[in-house]
Amino acid sequence: MREITVRVNGQERKRLVKDNELLLDFLRERLEVRSVKAACWRGECGLCTVKLGDHLVKSCLVLAVEADGKEVETVEGITPDGELTPIQKAFVSHGAAQCGFCTPAWVLATHELLQANPHPSEAELTEATSGLVCRCGTYNQIREAVEEVSQARPRLAKENLASS
Amino acid sequence: MSFGSPYVTLPDFAYHRPKSLDEALALLKEHGEEAKVMGGGVGLIAFMKERLMSPAHVIDVKEVPELRQVRHVPGKGLSIGAAVSIKELLEGGTLRGYAVLEEALARVADPMIRSRATLAGNLCEAIPWVDSPPALIALGASVEIAGTGGTREVPVSGFIRGPVDIDLNPGEIVTGIMLPDPKGTLSAFEKFTAGSEFSLASVAVALAGGGRKRSVAMVYGAVSSTPVRCAEAEQAVADGLTPANVRRAADMASEKVECVDDVLASAAYRRHLVKVITTRVLRRMMSA
Ligand SMILES: Cc1cc2nc3c(=O)[nH]c(=O)nc-3n(C[C@H](O)[C@H](O)[C@H](O)COP(=O)(O)OP(=O)(O)OC[C@H]3O[C@@H](n4cnc5c(N)ncnc54)[C@H](O)[C@@H]3O)c2cc1C
Repeated sequence: MREITVRVNGQERKRLVKDNELLLDFLRERLEVRSVKAACWRGECGLCTVKLGDHLVKSCLVLAVEADGKEVETVEGITPDGELTPIQKAFVSHGAAQCGFCTPAWVLATHELLQANPHPSEAELTEATSGLVCRCGTYNQIREAVEEVSQARPRLAKENLASS
Repeated sequence: MSFGSPYVTLPDFAYHRPKSLDEALALLKEHGEEAKVMGGGVGLIAFMKERLMSPAHVIDVKEVPELRQVRHVPGKGLSIGAAVSIKELLEGGTLRGYAVLEEALARVADPMIRSRATLAGNLCEAIPWVDSPPALIALGASVEIAGTGGTREVPVSGFIRGPVDIDLNPGEIVTGIMLPDPKGTLSAFEKFTAGSEFSLASVAVALAGGGRKRSVAMVYGAVSSTPVRCAEAEQAVADGLTPANVRRAADMASEKVECVDDVLASAAYRRHLVKVITTRVLRRMMSA
């Protein structure tokens, strides 16, 4: 056992963990961050996706001790107090969640994509979310939700010039 | 709950995070066969879940500065540190001139896996279907290895001895991958997948030089237990990429490349895929 300190959604959390504990278990079981889902356990479904430092990672393939001294963000962390982000609102209005199990991972991944690239092409969206699975098959609704947020955003002057 | 059953738990081990190469080598010397190096951990954690590996010591080299560099060595080539992630390698044109490797790595898994996984880890897994080894062999790359006794460098083609079997002794670590200067090499990668990102067949092609001094490398992955070159297909395109030569190369490869039967695909289907991907990759190179 060793003590690790991880900033989770802006809050410093100290816990004793075993060296062989997964980041996924640390978040779900020790910190009770239940938006991080445990499903395939082998890096294929992507539903345990969290942001570790600057990158989205699949937390079933990361050790808790690797996160010592680092920042972790989950879907709870992107939501301003009591409000929904534009992509969350668009998920609701497009019915982009059916059973909802995968929704936290998709919201986090599409939110991150839109932060880095406010106007992603369909190919860029597909690539950015290629590590995520939705068993209900709401891929079209998710695409529509991302398009809506993208279209609602003002384009930079440079982009307007390029597209005119 | 996740605790208690295989596939979701890891065996017990002690985790180490050395801060220098010397510290990593000292740990490897101390723990010998009991230790496993961890790069991105993507493969190692999966193997440990399935109890295919149960090291008593896991040595995480992500923060070893000597392994975090990409350096151009004049007169030699590009040395890629073992702890550089695939995502980092794909950014900023680092692999300019090495299209075959860039294309292979861009199709490894997905962006989340690529932000952890390393090229060295992909190579060291030496699973028949991983994508980097054919590309590295086509480029004539070599593996830089360090142990407490010193350093050595071996070609990737010799480093992979068999499926999941590499030329690395207890106490040794891969420090980097050396890509020889591209010198205008034209290269490309193609893989065929069905239902997942895992290759059922892949091919890496590199054409170097021109005229009589032209050299061709065509290396097939995921069809046999290790990557295989096909001399007959290479011969078929040695005097240029013409439609007729491309057709002959695809036929030759399909006939000569040894393909295995396994749970993923039959040998006959793989032979067919070899023809398809050879045609695709060479046609793309013709029009480049
Ligand atoms: C969902 C999923 C999809 C995937 N899809 C693909 C795909 O499409 N194509 C593909 O090619 N691969 C694919 N992979 C495999 C993945 O790319 C590899 O597992 C990864 O590249 C391994 O790199 P790593 O740095 O994480 O290695 P690690 O997991 O850290 O290590 C893997 C092995 O290499 C050894 N090792 C690592 N670094 C060193 C070193 N410096 N010195 C000595 N030994 C070392 C370790 O001890 C271990 O045995 C996929 C994996 C997953 C989970």
